[in-house]
Amino acid sequence: MRLLSSAFVALLAFARLSFAASSSGDSVLVLLDTSLDRENYSIFFGGLEKRGYSLTFRAPKDASPAITDYDVPNFDHVIFFSPEAKSYAQDITPQSLVGLLSEKTNLLIALSPKQTPLTSLATEFSLILPPPETPLISHHPARSERPTTIPVAVSSSSPLLTPGIPPVWFSGAPHALGNNPMLVPILRAPAESFAADSTDDTGADGIVDATEKGGEGLWAGSQMGLVTGFQTNVNSRVVFAGGIDLFSDEYARKELPSGTPSGNSQFARDIATWVFQETLTLRIDSVEHHRVNQTEAPEMYTTNDEIVYTAHISSYDSRTSTWKPYSGIGDLQLEFTMLDPHIRTSLPPVPGSPGTYQVQFRAPDRHGVFKFILNWKRKGYSYLSSSTTVPVVPPRHDGYPRFLSAAWPYYTGAISTSAGFFLFAALWLAGDVKGERKKVSKAE
Amino acid sequence: MPAAYPLPTDLSPTTVANTASLLRIIALALISSAAIASRLFAVINFESIIHEFDPWFNYRATRVLASKGFYEFWNWFDPTAWYPLGRVVGGTIYPGLMATSGVIYNILHALNLPVDIRNICVLLAPGFSAFTAWATYMFTKEMKDESAGLLAAAFIGIVPGYISRSVAGSYDNEAIAIFLLMFTFFAWIKALKQGSAFWGTIAAVFYFYMVAAWGGYAFITNMIPLHVLVLMLMGRFTSRLYVAYSSWYAIGTLASMQVPFVGFQPVRTSEHMAALGVFGLLQIVAFGQLVRAHVSSKQFQGLLFAAVVFTGAIGFFGIVGLTYKGWIAPWTGRFYSLWDTGYAKKYIPIIASVSEHQPTAWPSFFMDLHFLIFLFPAGVVMCFRTLRDEHIFVIIYAVVASYFAGVMVRLMLTLTPVVCVSAAVALSSLMDAYLDPTEPEVEDEKKESSTPASVVAKSSTSTTTPATPATGKKSKKSKDKETSAPAGGVLGELVSNVASSAVAANSAAPTQKGIFGLDTRVVVLLNTIGMLLFFVVHCTWVTSNAYSSPSVVLSSTNSDGSQHIIDDFREAYYWLRQNTAEDAVVMSWWDYGYQIAGMADRPTLVDNNTWNNTHIATVGKAMSSPEEIAYPILRKHDVSYVLVIFGGLIGYSGDDINKFLWMVRIAQGVWPDEIQEPNYFNRGEYRVDSEASPAMRDCLMYKMSYYRFAELFGSQQAVDRVRGQQVPAQGPTLDYLDEAFTSENWIVRIYEVKKDDVLGRDLKIANAFDQGKKRKRTKPTSRRKAISA
Repeated sequence: MRLLSSAFVALLAFARLSFAASSSGDSVLVLLDTSLDRENYSIFFGGLEKRGYSLTFRAPKDASPAITDYDVPNFDHVIFFSPEAKSYAQDITPQSLVGLLSEKTNLLIALSPKQTPLTSLATEFSLILPPPETPLISHHPARSERPTTIPVAVSSSSPLLTPGIPPVWFSGAPHALGNNPMLVPILRAPAESFAADSTDDTGADGIVDATEKGGEGLWAGSQMGLVTGFQTNVNSRVVFAGGIDLFSDEYARKELPSGTPSGNSQFARDIATWVFQETLTLRIDSVEHHRVNQTEAPEMYTTNDEIVYTAHISSYDSRTSTWKPYSGIGDLQLEFTMLDPHIRTSLPPVPGSPGTYQVQFRAPDRHGVFKFILNWKRKGYSYLSSSTTVPVVPPRHDGYPRFLSAAWPYYTGAISTSAGFFLFAALWLAGDVKGERKKVSKAE
Repeated sequence: MPAAYPLPTDLSPTTVANTASLLRIIALALISSAAIASRLFAVINFESIIHEFDPWFNYRATRVLASKGFYEFWNWFDPTAWYPLGRVVGGTIYPGLMATSGVIYNILHALNLPVDIRNICVLLAPGFSAFTAWATYMFTKEMKDESAGLLAAAFIGIVPGYISRSVAGSYDNEAIAIFLLMFTFFAWIKALKQGSAFWGTIAAVFYFYMVAAWGGYAFITNMIPLHVLVLMLMGRFTSRLYVAYSSWYAIGTLASMQVPFVGFQPVRTSEHMAALGVFGLLQIVAFGQLVRAHVSSKQFQGLLFAAVVFTGAIGFFGIVGLTYKGWIAPWTGRFYSLWDTGYAKKYIPIIASVSEHQPTAWPSFFMDLHFLIFLFPAGVVMCFRTLRDEHIFVIIYAVVASYFAGVMVRLMLTLTPVVCVSAAVALSSLMDAYLDPTEPEVEDEKKESSTPASVVAKSSTSTTTPATPATGKKSKKSKDKETSAPAGGVLGELVSNVASSAVAANSAAPTQKGIFGLDTRVVVLLNTIGMLLFFVVHCTWVTSNAYSSPSVVLSSTNSDGSQHIIDDFREAYYWLRQNTAEDAVVMSWWDYGYQIAGMADRPTLVDNNTWNNTHIATVGKAMSSPEEIAYPILRKHDVSYVLVIFGGLIGYSGDDINKFLWMVRIAQGVWPDEIQEPNYFNRGEYRVDSEASPAMRDCLMYKMSYYRFAELFGSQQAVDRVRGQQVPAQGPTLDYLDEAFTSENWIVRIYEVKKDDVLGRDLKIANAFDQGKKRKRTKPTSRRKAISA
């Protein structure tokens, strides 16, 4: 019965996944501010719908559809296109959004220079926002647009972006990045840009002062992030975009100062595919471990056993909506840990069998409860972690070598003592008879 | 000869003998059933349940043995104990107890008696107490006679000092060890008396059983050599002694080395060196005797002196050298703490923290032994009066055990048997004197009848010393001297001279002792019976009130006098069993490790097998540190739940706050820089109220104990009933732990360790965020280095 029901659930999950581009479901809630026109984002939304997502729109202050019912999320992904909304319906608070993330819902959040509830949420992801009303300004390159509308070159180092995207138009607020290792920087501010509280250059002196003080409190330069992702411990993803116009049709169609088309639509699509778990989504299908020349995992290992550890890893292919074996990880490591790693070894992919990573090693000469630990965390990729507990026990009482050449002195000792005792007993018995006879003869 | 009361004369001696032996059998049977019955209070008052702490482990191990067989048990590696170190159970326990239960279990099942293994475990100790009574009977019979033996058996059967460790459910090593102790001693005495290698081997076999059953075997290992040494020094070396000791030591030591936990200790540790040394000395002396028989005595004296000095020096320096080289382990801390009661507190707090390792309080001697403690010295004096080899044994035993019982509460157990034996000897002598119907001859008749023969006859009835008339003895002695040198040596001669002169003195002044009339006898005997009755009443009372509590289940009395059961421990352990993942590691102070493993079946960090001081200190550190320091320790050890015992609500004084200073001390022993005991005091006072020191208020143990405690009292002042202090209304808060379970009377509180924050924040910050607290604005960190001059 249990087997049947679990099979049914698996089937359902499979049926659900098979139509979705995302590995985690296709229902999307879009919180669109009433002041924004849906048509202005038609390229972005249209692209999503084309890839199989079902979008549900809702104003920030609407009560329904609720994000969660009884702590169960109703949607797989939520898009916050409400950068200037001062208040939300009751079900949306910074706390509830963190709760959503821990329930594996993905969030795409657009910020703005205004102070909103989402600003304080960003702080929890160690994004440091500038003071309110300080948008990003850049006077380079020379162009006809306002200094807050900036073409930003896309760095190709981020693994989640398609290589070779042309610069994108951006307007909005930058943010500094804290030292949280879960942050995934996607788009950095141009080196010559800065954040200031007015668009004309009246406050320029203050900025010059701040620069001379040594950068303290200075919101400028390429260390600022504009679009930053965040991958939580449970592999749900968040993207904070500094401005909503990044996703707009206007910017997507706008030509760069050089006259070439902007990369906005491609960039927005790349962000969406990442945050909705389409790309760079990996998982550990299974791990196995056994002794060399065996196939079954033993209940416990003996010290100094040769152990074979195998992990099967697959990645999500959004085109076919299937998980495919993935052998592309070259720096996977395995730890065999009891309090501290006793063994740390690389876990290389097995050539010829895709998705399989295997290593053979000798268990340490130490008994205890060990764990096989896989812990692979790379920016942009799903975290892979697995922990399998196995006891490593000393040899059984009959598991030690029976005869040791080093013990020959003891064997000799035991044998010679036995032989000596036997001889002594024999002589004693024989001699006693003689003695008695002698005594008898003496008495006589 | 006049008699105080008439005795039937028409009985044949065989009838008397048969009736006496029948009565003895009946008496022994009744004593055995009384011994068993008085230990069943625990089962009747509570239920058939395993008691206390260590028995829970023994029970768990026995279940493994019963279900998986002996070899699996021997190779049992317990991955749930001492997580993540694990415990090699087969090599770190004395398997005798479990093996005994396993054998009984298998026999009963072979007989188609499907008895639950738990009931065997619960009832094993009472069952073996019957055997103990029998072994004590046999032992005392060797000291005096059957009647003394019966008295001793009755005493040991119900004396609280032994019952305290052997009530039903107290399934500990001592349950069978006291029987083995007494039987080994009996076999040793028997071997010594008869010079029998057979009895020596039996002693060795039971010694092996004892080694397999209890760490206290070291007592036998040192008692018997000490006895032999004293006998040799008294010049009582005989070939009987040689045969008995050699066969016991050789077979016993080889056998004891078969126990995995003991291994090579008998030849490698200082505790066992006395036995080895005496064995060597015995060989030398035996060889000396042999040489002496072939060499003239003058040469021999010089030879002997040189040889003794030479071999003694070699042996001594050999042992010292080996110890220095590390081949022989030096004395362990437990051993030192036997001589210096302050030693453990200073250097090994983990031993001192156990209540049963504390020095004994005076009242507990009376509590545990009642009037036997008064008869005990009398019995020892009686032994001096006869002073055969076996009496010397009792005297040494009495002296040694008295000392040890004064040092450690738990060693009261080893004192109890010798107290019972000595008291039985004394009481039986008293009864012999007052029950004997013969009255002394009247004064004027004395001179006529006081021939040496009658004196001898008298003395042989009261004591069993083979005393021949003085003159006869002397002549015999001189004859002995002529024919062959007596085996006793110089000292032996001295002793026998003293003995013969004593006999001579006896015959020279034949003052006759005896009791006239029935009234004197009745008064004394009624008093004795009265004392015995009080003894029985006392034993029953102490057993039912003091020693029959399982300590897993507590009981209190309601206002109407009915019994109220407090079952918080089992409630909490079963909560753990039902509601947590099977591999969820539970951290608690080590006292509760065995119970958690036994009842909740969850892995524990530390337990009552306190073999790894560092691991215990780690737990101590976690308990006595602030949350943010404790949390990484908890996570590193995969701890899912933390369990504390808190008695503040109902006044259960054995709780963790009262044990807390030991945790601090043990942690301080390993991390003296981080944990300091004085920090937990406020001006020298141990406080938990608003005056508690900051370290105390911040530590995990305090927080877990008093978390939300004040809320329970509503608007009233919260009071900790154990400490009698008022707890501040604003209780501690927890950021890294969540309260998971609190039992009915708040005795057991279980906290769940929070997982890492989903956003990788510090849990304190995450908690503040969840409670809606605003965070301080942060500024971007400057990536430029400050210009330094």
